[in-house]
Amino acid sequence: MNNIISLSGNLLLIICLATSILQSLNLFTTNSYTNNNVKLFSTIQFTCIALAFLILIFLFTQSNFGFELVTFHSHSEKPFLYKISGAWGNHEGSLLLWILILTLFNFLYSLSAERDKLYKNKVTAIQSILIIGFVLFSIALSNPFALNESPQSEGLGLNPILQDPLLAIHPPILYFGYVGFSLVFSLAVAGLLTSNINNVWAETVKSWTFLAWTFLTAGIALGSYWAYYELGWGGYWFWDPVENASLMPWLAATALIHCVVVLQKKNTMQSWTVLLAIITFSLSLMGTFLVRSGVLNSVHTFASDPGRGLYILSFLFLVLITSFTIYALKSDGIDKENSYSLVSRDAGIMVNNWVLITILFIVFLGTIYPLFTDLVLNTSLTVGPSYYVMTITPVIIILLLFMIISPLVNWTAGKLSNVIVKMRYVLISSLTLVLILSLYFYLFSLTELAIIFLCIILILTSVSSGIIYSRNNIIITPSLGRTLSHSGFGLLLLAIVSNAVYSEEKIFDAKVGDTLKLSDNTFKFEKINQFEKQNYNSIQAIFYLMDNNKQVEKFSPEIRFYNDPPTITSETSIVHRLFEDIYIVMNVTQATNSISVRIHVKPFMTFLWIGVILIILGGVLSVFIKNKKINA
Amino acid sequence: MTSPVKKRLIKFLLSLIVLAISILIIVYNLRDNIVYFYSPSELQDLNTSDVRILRLGGLVSNGSIQSEPNGIHRFKINDGNEEISVKFEGILPNLFAEDKGVVVEGKYIKDELFVALKVLAKHDENYMPPEVIDSLKQTGNWQGE
Repeated sequence: MNNIISLSGNLLLIICLATSILQSLNLFTTNSYTNNNVKLFSTIQFTCIALAFLILIFLFTQSNFGFELVTFHSHSEKPFLYKISGAWGNHEGSLLLWILILTLFNFLYSLSAERDKLYKNKVTAIQSILIIGFVLFSIALSNPFALNESPQSEGLGLNPILQDPLLAIHPPILYFGYVGFSLVFSLAVAGLLTSNINNVWAETVKSWTFLAWTFLTAGIALGSYWAYYELGWGGYWFWDPVENASLMPWLAATALIHCVVVLQKKNTMQSWTVLLAIITFSLSLMGTFLVRSGVLNSVHTFASDPGRGLYILSFLFLVLITSFTIYALKSDGIDKENSYSLVSRDAGIMVNNWVLITILFIVFLGTIYPLFTDLVLNTSLTVGPSYYVMTITPVIIILLLFMIISPLVNWTAGKLSNVIVKMRYVLISSLTLVLILSLYFYLFSLTELAIIFLCIILILTSVSSGIIYSRNNIIITPSLGRTLSHSGFGLLLLAIVSNAVYSEEKIFDAKVGDTLKLSDNTFKFEKINQFEKQNYNSIQAIFYLMDNNKQVEKFSPEIRFYNDPPTITSETSIVHRLFEDIYIVMNVTQATNSISVRIHVKPFMTFLWIGVILIILGGVLSVFIKNKKINA
Repeated sequence: MTSPVKKRLIKFLLSLIVLAISILIIVYNLRDNIVYFYSPSELQDLNTSDVRILRLGGLVSNGSIQSEPNGIHRFKINDGNEEISVKFEGILPNLFAEDKGVVVEGKYIKDELFVALKVLAKHDENYMPPEVIDSLKQTGNWQGE
């Protein structure tokens, strides 16, 4: 029976491969009428992979230990949800998910209305070449349907810290973003090949780009929130290489969405936009390579399983070399020479493109440098988080400055004096606000004050340009997407800075009945509970936040002892209040009669997440809002 | 010189200057924030006047963990050949135990005492930091596959 399942799984992959090869041949047709199979082929590709993926999920839910993948990554006593998510919580399964989304985007695109049939053929052909690359990889080097040589009676389990509802949906959403840029990449390369890059092209590309960007943003945010409550270190971003791997395509993509809008409105920046599309997808590929090849843990683990790593690396280089060659050959002369004044919206957007690329470079260097020294110089080192903070902070100030000014300037040519006139109320009110804040807290450094000041202006100007109050009517302008995202970004940064300045933490050695004090807060250690769950045992401590002898909030941090594989985890207990999060985590200690407790007071965390949600909402709106073209 | 050429030249020079300055700042910052990894043997050979933050990794020596009630922990880290005493104030991670791999980050003062600011741990009982495996292999004390 298992043989048949394994065979049919592989067969589905092979059918998809064959169809993709057929579809990729469209790259060489010049006649736009011959091929109407685009829709059929894309449907077959998608159906095959979807079925294969369902089979894999089925195997995991059945805990079928005849299969290698299920044995290594599941356990019969796992809760049902995590049996399902176990299907993509590993290398082979996540690769199949990657392919599923590749074919899904190809399928969705094949359904879309596109007047230029020749162009559509090329796009789906390029997308199919990407599919071929990954399906081959899956069949030959990371087969999810590989059988165990001898059937096992029990699985090795799934890492307990990955047993979390957020982390179950985090990879699919992140991959939706990563892989969404594959279609943007295909659209860009096909556009180069057919010399088709113009404002009409940008119109099609815009929705796909915003779609992928929105998912990528949401994916990163989910990962960050997971790290915040699950890892128990009180932070939400650690400049860990795994996080950086997803931040890099996001930075390129953020530059890209702005360029696509400029291209659509003004028909300029053609070659730069295409270049960004190629870079964004390449970074998505690189992110997958970094995370999935094991190279981040150590270049030596990478060397111990060279097949997989080398395959993705060669594929990455192949994609890079081919697309850059096409770019070099075809991009010459696609730019419409449009003289624009130095004070114009596109100039401002261009400056911020540079800024985003600079941040990208900073993150890239910090992520790659340790790998380089390990591989070439054989020295182990890590790059501390302060590197990122110190280098990115000054750049962020420039970014904020141009985020504020650019939307207030005309597309073609504007005057700076007009901007200042437009901003006069906002300037005065934010300056007053910042002065009051700094006098009240008397803590900020000049950099922090500058960022906070600019964030407040950004939020105010964004809101006032998106929602106009006139003649007793509230008018919502088409730039509402930008309003939400930009004010969300301002809020996010405001929260990050204030959080960094005002966070407090303290470690206590506590016994039941103790009273713990951290700044203005008093906590009471009430009792300890012990209980058994399906796959772990737990010690739970109960704390109350006290206010004049009344119990205001309840906390219940836990330590869990998992059976398979034997692992100990600390579960945090967080109370979200409007202006601060209170965060309690405990650890086992050598001492028998007391426990170690760490309490964090983290201000403005709620605003941080609201900021992120606003950014995402802005992205969602921008997928649907159609912009008007502006004649230059 | 015609005006568009001049304009382009100014643009080009301006971006070159900006590029040079930013790369300088970035590289300078990178150099300042690098944390090197050492095994106990390598740390012994190190010039002790170096006050930078660094990482030390190896196995927690058997019977070396001493915890004081004020939250100060003392233990030793070895790589089979050399041993370094470590002092740490804070919460030890759940999976910190004798004969298990550990990586600490902090300063190496002198007289073989390492003051750890952080104890890094992973969420897996059998996890061994790759650097620790490497250094154990170098000293010939690696017993895994």
